[in-house]
Amino acid sequence: MVMADEEENGVSIQLEFPKGRVKKIMALDKDVKRVSSEALFLVSRSTELFLQFLAEKSAQVAIEKKRKTVNLEHIRVAVKRHQPTRDFLLDELPPPSQAAKPDKPTQPAGRPKLDPAPRGTRCIDQFFRKPEPENTAQAPGQPPENPAQAQSPENPDQDQAQSPVPVDES
Amino acid sequence: MAESDNESGGHTGNASGSNELSGCREQDRFLPIANVSRIMKKALPANAKISKEAKETVQECVSEFISFITGEASDKCQKEKRKTINGDDLLWAMTTLGFEDYVDPLKIYLHKYREMEGEKTAMMGRPHERDEGYGHGHGHATPMMTMMMGHQPQHQHQHQHQGHVYGSGSASSARTR
Repeated sequence: MVMADEEENGVSIQLEFPKGRVKKIMALDKDVKRVSSEALFLVSRSTELFLQFLAEKSAQVAIEKKRKTVNLEHIRVAVKRHQPTRDFLLDELPPPSQAAKPDKPTQPAGRPKLDPAPRGTRCIDQFFRKPEPENTAQAPGQPPENPAQAQSPENPDQDQAQSPVPVDES
Repeated sequence: MAESDNESGGHTGNASGSNELSGCREQDRFLPIANVSRIMKKALPANAKISKEAKETVQECVSEFISFITGEASDKCQKEKRKTINGDDLLWAMTTLGFEDYVDPLKIYLHKYREMEGEKTAMMGRPHERDEGYGHGHGHATPMMTMMMGHQPQHQHQHQHQGHVYGSGSASSARTR
């Protein structure tokens, strides 16, 4: 079909693929040293023919399966149906079942930052809790003898009692 | 003129690309996916679509095709102790590998290509002839050439005028490596 159209309109010499790229692919084979311009032209054009062939056959498979989108499976079936293409391509195609879904951990490690906080809190608690028992022990001994002095210790107790509240909040 | 510009541009681009970035080597292993996609769409019905995965797979397939055909042609050259792969080697390789259906269309293209090259050479006023290389080819491919001459009497004449080889390109590629 495509060929007939091209012939009717006069065969176009314009190549679809960049020559430099085709040449580089040919040169991947270490044994390939020099390539004539005709050879390069023929490889480019034959690659176009092969691509058209592969696309048409894949489309046929898609239509048979009542699909509008050509996918990997349709290409595989098209390759299998043509012996020469099958010989060099079937092993190169990806396997039917693909498990290429790597897990991407998007959550950074923020937990280490929380560890020091509890420790700091405990240290502060221990620091404030120790003085309270001492004051309590001294309080019973002093009130009977010195009522005036007994009032002054009560004030510090209240002050100390107020300070722990902010610590608990933080 | 346009084609020569494309050639030099492409060559320069590849050279600078390979020199600057090693990542270009990966891209150089495949044909541009835009070109692949465009040709696929031409061959498909108007309402058909192609998945991205399918495009990428076909992109790899055509590279494999080039390597497959080139390898066979290269083997033939080595057996015949020639250094330059020519058009006949590739036509032979395609027939050997089961793509004989491509040979007739390609001969038509090749015929027109040689006509254009002939005009191009005349315009440039610098005809490049490597009789030794092609004479060598003729000597070793006598049977094929005889058959081809039977179909295309002017083949030999045009063939001699097409003594254009990418020797410098290959040399620079080798140096880059």
